Amino acid sequence: MSVLAQTRQDALNLFEKLGLPTQRDEDWKYTDASRLKDLLQPTPTDANIHIKDMGITGLDAYRMVFINGLFAEAESNLPEGVSILSLAELEKNSVGEDAEGIAKLFTVDTQAPLLNGFNAFNAAKASDGAVIILADNAILTKPLYILHISNQSNVVRHSFMIGKHAEAQVIEHFISTDDTKALSNTCSFVALKAEARLEHTRIQQEGSKQSHVARVQVKQCKGSSYQFHGVEIGGILSRTDLVVNLHGEGASCDLNGLFVLGGRQHVDHHTRIDHKAPHCTSRELYRTVLDGRSHGVFNGKVMVHEDAIKTDSNMSNGNILLSKHAEIDTKPELEIYNDDVKCAHGATIGQLDDKQLFYLRSRGISAETAQELLTFAFADEVLVAMSNQTVRSYVEKAAFAKLPHSDDLEEMLGS
Amino acid sequence: MATNEEIQKDLEKREYDAGFITDIESDTLPPGLNEDTIRHISAKKDEPQWLLDWRLEAYRHWLTMEEPTWAAVDYTPTDYQSISYYSAPKPADSGPDSLDEVDPKLLETYEKLGIPLREQEFLAGVKNIAVDAVFDSVSVATTFKGKLKDAGVIFCPISEAVHEYPELVKQYLGTVVPQGDNFFAALNSAVFTDGSFVYIPKGVRCPMELSTYFRINALNTGQFERTLIIADEGSHVSYLEGCTAPMRDENQLHAAVVELVILDDAEIKYATVQNWYPGDENGVGGIYNFVTKRAECRGVRSKVSWTQVETGSAITWKYPSCVLIGDDSVGKFFSVAVTTNCQQADTGTKMIHLGKNTKSTIISKGISAGKAQQSYRGLVRMGKNAENARNFTQCDSLLLGDKCGAHTFPYVEVKNATATLEHEATTSKIGEDQLFYCQQRGLSEEDAVNMIVNGFCKDVFDELPMEFAVEANRLMEVSLEGSVG
Repeated sequence: MSVLAQTRQDALNLFEKLGLPTQRDEDWKYTDASRLKDLLQPTPTDANIHIKDMGITGLDAYRMVFINGLFAEAESNLPEGVSILSLAELEKNSVGEDAEGIAKLFTVDTQAPLLNGFNAFNAAKASDGAVIILADNAILTKPLYILHISNQSNVVRHSFMIGKHAEAQVIEHFISTDDTKALSNTCSFVALKAEARLEHTRIQQEGSKQSHVARVQVKQCKGSSYQFHGVEIGGILSRTDLVVNLHGEGASCDLNGLFVLGGRQHVDHHTRIDHKAPHCTSRELYRTVLDGRSHGVFNGKVMVHEDAIKTDSNMSNGNILLSKHAEIDTKPELEIYNDDVKCAHGATIGQLDDKQLFYLRSRGISAETAQELLTFAFADEVLVAMSNQTVRSYVEKAAFAKLPHSDDLEEMLGS
Repeated sequence: MATNEEIQKDLEKREYDAGFITDIESDTLPPGLNEDTIRHISAKKDEPQWLLDWRLEAYRHWLTMEEPTWAAVDYTPTDYQSISYYSAPKPADSGPDSLDEVDPKLLETYEKLGIPLREQEFLAGVKNIAVDAVFDSVSVATTFKGKLKDAGVIFCPISEAVHEYPELVKQYLGTVVPQGDNFFAALNSAVFTDGSFVYIPKGVRCPMELSTYFRINALNTGQFERTLIIADEGSHVSYLEGCTAPMRDENQLHAAVVELVILDDAEIKYATVQNWYPGDENGVGGIYNFVTKRAECRGVRSKVSWTQVETGSAITWKYPSCVLIGDDSVGKFFSVAVTTNCQQADTGTKMIHLGKNTKSTIISKGISAGKAQQSYRGLVRMGKNAENARNFTQCDSLLLGDKCGAHTFPYVEVKNATATLEHEATTSKIGEDQLFYCQQRGLSEEDAVNMIVNGFCKDVFDELPMEFAVEANRLMEVSLEGSVG
């Protein structure tokens, strides 16, 4: 068996050993993954999907399209001189020494935090993915927009390797063409060399019966900076494990998350930041707006290791429940093994401020619109950090269309 | 900076002045646990059949349970067959009638610990406090029983209450913490030996502070006390609890259960100064403190507060909780926990909001030094019907030394849209700028550190009754004594 085939077989064996997580696992206490069992197997086909005008229109970006987990080259537009490759292509053409390097892209780090059966399954069964290798000092002039379109279960696996002093912006967008019951199992591995910078956006906007399980694993070298924007609007059940390893001195990460949910949507984000080196900074801001019978779960864990002196860590989680049937479970955790640190976290759950509502109403704004406006402001704070305005206004529109009285709001905001 | 290292060094040397052993003859059961042990304990206390059955039921349930491992503590598991489940100083009945009958050695013990058992000492007007003194497995003295009885307040060892007020005990025992609640509660239900029983009748404001002082003395014994406090409609009581044990190289187990029942408009203030032997600087010996404490605010507008100062024990596993059932009920939790050397503490609280307009406050201050590990583990749950429930949580940790750890695991579960919750947590060390500022104004380093630590704990100390506030301050000072070289 080739190295590559062996690596994937190992992953499959690991999956069989781990199985799917159950609610008896502390990290899956609030999310029932058992109903995803039958949706696990990918069914990659060159489905006849008309993708014209799908995704974020008017975005000035390089484009990579995956249809049901397979790279659609004809729909894509990649820059010259930069290695942005299809994982499936690489796998097909791998021979000799290359094979070992490529096998590494499928290796599962069994020691990584929050590792679960889905992740092992991903390594075993991934059908394709994007492999970006950005050379030292290279700067990707336009964002790379990775659009995932699906109407079937699919497994994709991305790797983003950003060289020293290199800079890039990657936007992953997940949409569906219909309301089929299916599961997207995705992994994105990020490696940032010294002083590298990456702004990474993930927008989950899949069909109303689609489920989504994701793992984002980041390793940061000295002085690198990683910015994450996670937006959860679509799907029925979505779980993301975001694992950041601040490995080099002075690295910093900035994680932003926004859930705008309704109906019976269930979204669960587990974030884990490991401060392993001195002088690292982490900042985390998560906000959720829950309507209907939706259920939000946020678990943020910051682990400060023994040598990580001068750690500066801040986590904030705000939640608004708009309906009496919505539920939020939040757990901001700190684990600190060193005394030279400054760590803080905060979580709030509540309603809109009566005084602010009164202020708006006293200026002739209806109660509904005032509420809407304040909810918008609450959620939009997470999006402020997004540097691409086209993406931001797309997200704003898509997220706020879910609020009950969004028409008035659109009028007010003039959009 | 030298200061922190010096504080650490001194913390390591911190002395445990309650570590003496009272040489007294005791009646001790041989080590081991089986149904006969339980029958024996029950027979010793001349208990009615229903209580024996209740114990046996708990024991059978316990056999099916596994010791929990989720807490962030690391210890050698207890061999439940190697400890003795009953030890009483001779001659021991369930409490003598007057102090004259109490063994002078025992009186001396409590005197040494600064616990006054002679009522005349109070008559001087210095203190107004009734004490139930529990020595190993039995209550040896309860003061001011008469005066309390005049007010209608029942304050006696639980073994006595079983005989004198069986209806009350039967009605409430195990209703807050059921027999099978958790591993240690089940064990306690099977083998509990003594503890205090308090009943405050309708509309009565308890005329004095009530207090129980727990002392472990005998070797290889475990202490399993059970406290049950019932505050009937419109009543009010303030209850204090203290504990110490001799210094020994073996770990000793303390698995207590405390149940509080609060009815309409009643209030219980429960304070603990826990100073069990923490083990030496290498982590040898010390008490395993595995305690289940829970209060049920059953009535409307009922109130409960848990205030704890935790300085002792090798391992602490303790989550005093409030179940807020009655509308407008209030639960509060104030905690200062100090861990030094190799101590490990996993402590926090649970606030379960079920009724409308229920409020809870959590203030937790952790100080971790040496090689100690400390965790705050809390749960705030707001149920579907908890309209307008509110919670405020603040948990701060202060770290002294680069080998210690401080962790927070707050669970928040909210199922009601009208609920409001705020949670804040910070972890830091004493700022060099803070120290510099104080010293620049002429304070010695030691005073500066003391002042900063005191300020850090102030929110909690303010909640303690006067007598305990003094005790708590003294304990803290011992901890930080001589912090400047």
